[in-house]
Amino acid sequence: MTTDNSSNSPLIKVRGLCKAFTGIEALKNISVDIFQGDVAFIVGPSGSGKSTFLRCLNRLEEPTGGSIFFDGEDICDKTCNIDLHRQKMGMVFQQFNLFPHLTVMRNLTIGPMKLQNKTKEEAEAKADALLKRVGLSDRRDAYPNQLSGGQKQRIAICRSLCMNPEVMLFDEPTSALDPEMVGEVLNVMRELANEKMTMVVVTHEMGFAREVANRVFFMADGEILEENAPVAFFDHPQNERLRSFLRSVL
Amino acid sequence: MSDLVNSFYQNFIEKDRYQYLLDGLKNTLIVTFFAVLIGIAIGFILAIIRSTYDNTKKLKILNFFANVYLTVIRGTPVVLQLLITYFVIFASVNISKLLVAIIAFGINSGAYVAEIIRSGINSIDRGQFEAGRSLGFSYAQTMIYFILPQALKNVLPALGNEFVVLLKETSVAGYIALQDLTKGADIIRSQTYSAFMPLVMAAAIYLVMVIAFDYLIKRLERRLRSSDH
Repeated sequence: MTTDNSSNSPLIKVRGLCKAFTGIEALKNISVDIFQGDVAFIVGPSGSGKSTFLRCLNRLEEPTGGSIFFDGEDICDKTCNIDLHRQKMGMVFQQFNLFPHLTVMRNLTIGPMKLQNKTKEEAEAKADALLKRVGLSDRRDAYPNQLSGGQKQRIAICRSLCMNPEVMLFDEPTSALDPEMVGEVLNVMRELANEKMTMVVVTHEMGFAREVANRVFFMADGEILEENAPVAFFDHPQNERLRSFLRSVL
Repeated sequence: MSDLVNSFYQNFIEKDRYQYLLDGLKNTLIVTFFAVLIGIAIGFILAIIRSTYDNTKKLKILNFFANVYLTVIRGTPVVLQLLITYFVIFASVNISKLLVAIIAFGINSGAYVAEIIRSGINSIDRGQFEAGRSLGFSYAQTMIYFILPQALKNVLPALGNEFVVLLKETSVAGYIALQDLTKGADIIRSQTYSAFMPLVMAAAIYLVMVIAFDYLIKRLERRLRSSDH
């Protein structure tokens, strides 16, 4: 699975990223490069800063130090238009966060129509194609509360994809799902990875990380302690914290 | 029985006294309708100022004035607000009593509507806000497309109740000698010296209006709930 990206410049370049909440240093001086086509998984114990790191990448969480370059522009700079960059960074949440007052179709089309000046026909054609891909064409006129958790998360992934993002951020996308629904969401993510969508995924699904990722990061106490290709990461962990973490979850 | 018929004739038919009730009803409805519009406008603006400050710490100065307004309006009786508006603020201006009542009741209602809408905004899960922002919607767009529609749906019963309260509160408009429904009934009483018939009739008219309004709100609620199966 490992691909050679060294010739490209990174899509996301994180330098010295810090985030402090009152009294807690959630992120300590993190520097990472994410390249086009990377499927980067971040694992680690809860409270280690994984989600905070991911949420800093599109500034849902405001970093307190460092810089994040996306497409070469520092998005932590106060003068940059973060809303434009967010259109190119899809985000999938643990709690789905579909808009309950809008139909599935409207959830998918409101972004492209309001933000990218797509016509209704263009937006719906794109949405229909995505719904077909995730097997939910028959739910296009349903409201989110009529869907199962797995269906909601697949729709949420489609909602982000409708914006044609350059990178997809996944924040524990299967953690709120009943076990029998995890598979359907992972299948969609696996397909995305196969199509070389750039993905950054925070998850507790170790088997899935090993199968799909090309890079795996281990975070603990707000720092990245180890990074490796999945086979080496899971079979020959170097860091002692990672070894004990893997012993406890595998 | 014939007493009742006589009393009815004397209070409403004789000398066309029903006109007092009709004119009064018209003024009550005018004042309520426009005060509701002003109240909604003020309420919306204040609610957005207050929750924007709560979420982002921006609009600090506007938020301060909003708080002063809310405290003063909610902390003083509406009758005094009406009297002060008429006899102090517009004392030296020749202005219709109807307009004064609309302004006073609108400003009063705005404070309550603001708190209702703000509680509705606060009732929306933070994830909704993050979902909107993560797609690239601005703060204002996220409010308009995702937060406010859901917030309004949640507070519709409370808003409906506020407008029922407002409709009835306008009955103190007689304090500035504006002839509303209550005042109209009272004028009849002072002419015929019979209290029962005109006052109970006025009360019945308020009651019918409130019941009709409640019915409309319930229907609207049912329609908006179509996404909550």
